[in-house]
Amino acid sequence: MIPHLAEDNIALIFPAFISDYRDDPSLEFPAFRDVFQALLIKAAGYVDKELLSFHPESNPMLQDELRNQYISYIYGCSCADILLKSGVKPGMIAGYSMGIYASLFTAGSISFETGLSFIQKAYAAIRKVLPHRQYGMCGVIGLSEKDIREVALHHSLNLMIVNRNSDYSFILAGESFHINVFLLKAREEGALHARSLGVTIPYHTNLLEEAAKDLSHAVFNADIQAPAIPIISVLNQDMIINGDRARNEVVNNIHTPFDWLVTQQQMFSSGIRTFTECGPSQALRKNSKFIPGAGKFVNWDTLVKRRVE
Amino acid sequence: MAIMPHLFFGNIREINIFAEKIPRMAKITENTRNEVREIVFAFFAEECEADKSQINDNTNIIKDLDGDSLMFLELIEIFKKKYNLDIELKTIGKYAVKHPVETIGQLIEMQLLIIEHENRMLELDK
Repeated sequence: MIPHLAEDNIALIFPAFISDYRDDPSLEFPAFRDVFQALLIKAAGYVDKELLSFHPESNPMLQDELRNQYISYIYGCSCADILLKSGVKPGMIAGYSMGIYASLFTAGSISFETGLSFIQKAYAAIRKVLPHRQYGMCGVIGLSEKDIREVALHHSLNLMIVNRNSDYSFILAGESFHINVFLLKAREEGALHARSLGVTIPYHTNLLEEAAKDLSHAVFNADIQAPAIPIISVLNQDMIINGDRARNEVVNNIHTPFDWLVTQQQMFSSGIRTFTECGPSQALRKNSKFIPGAGKFVNWDTLVKRRVE
Repeated sequence: MAIMPHLFFGNIREINIFAEKIPRMAKITENTRNEVREIVFAFFAEECEADKSQINDNTNIIKDLDGDSLMFLELIEIFKKKYNLDIELKTIGKYAVKHPVETIGQLIEMQLLIIEHENRMLELDK
């Protein structure tokens, strides 16, 4: 189903984690600071009071897998709030990996607190299944999928390609030892870039099937409405059009590989022409340059500025 | 690159394939060198929001410009299109393992080698 697109044909996309912070948007948009602080305080009261000590420079929480996700969620929700209030009418939304939670909140499908509880419960379920942190994920740029499979096969590495960012950029997950060997061999094989993502959870692999089952109890009892703004699934590029479909997406997202390349191309095919990344990094914007026919990226704060002017 | 045995069964197409194996080495003129420099400088000035006049051959791409591998990949794609290059990314990656690029000057030299030797650049180390 191709959704009715808003006038601007803009899509909001939400990253999963934060890798770095570019300029502080609060300097130009004091409203962003207000929204972010309000959501941070709410989140601290609801899931983790340590979140109050967050600071993008002095305490960015980048290495803490759970808090990084909370902050990414809060940041994404804040960006989207400012965008929507400024009059931007997105035609579509997509959540990159764990960006699904901010997508659902922005589309009016779940409350802010429900999103937080999904993040918390998913993490707890995963830790119950994989208590020992011997897993990881890595990104590799410059090798084709065939090259990657050959490296893994040749060295008997038990890894999964869990996402294709573009034809020459992939995310893999599996046991840390296998990841480390792969990184070494991938560089020898000619990867322009191969690095660990610094996480200890093999997201989007079948290793998390049990955790997804555990999470499903909470998700299927949660209040989830049909999204008011169409959300595209990164798992199969279907449109998430009702609450049940959204529930399935949240659960399956944990243990199913996704394809960002095809997702972004499908959004473009559906009429989206402008993408904006609702997060502090620019990873998805940079990656977009390698997706043929992916439309243009505009910083979310630039979009707001245009509306205000 | 080794020539596969199945190419030696003799028809017109196979002869053509064989002919394409004859090395064609681009000549790097002063113009090419200047053009590559200009593209690299302009690219990093725009991508890294840096003042072009502050970029020189000794500028460290990561430390001074906050550059990354995706920028390197984008630049390769620009040159591949501009000079119609036959080069696999992994060939460049393998070359870079032995000849790491840290500065703008080193990057320009590598781009010139790519333009000159394309997929045969690994043979330079033999």
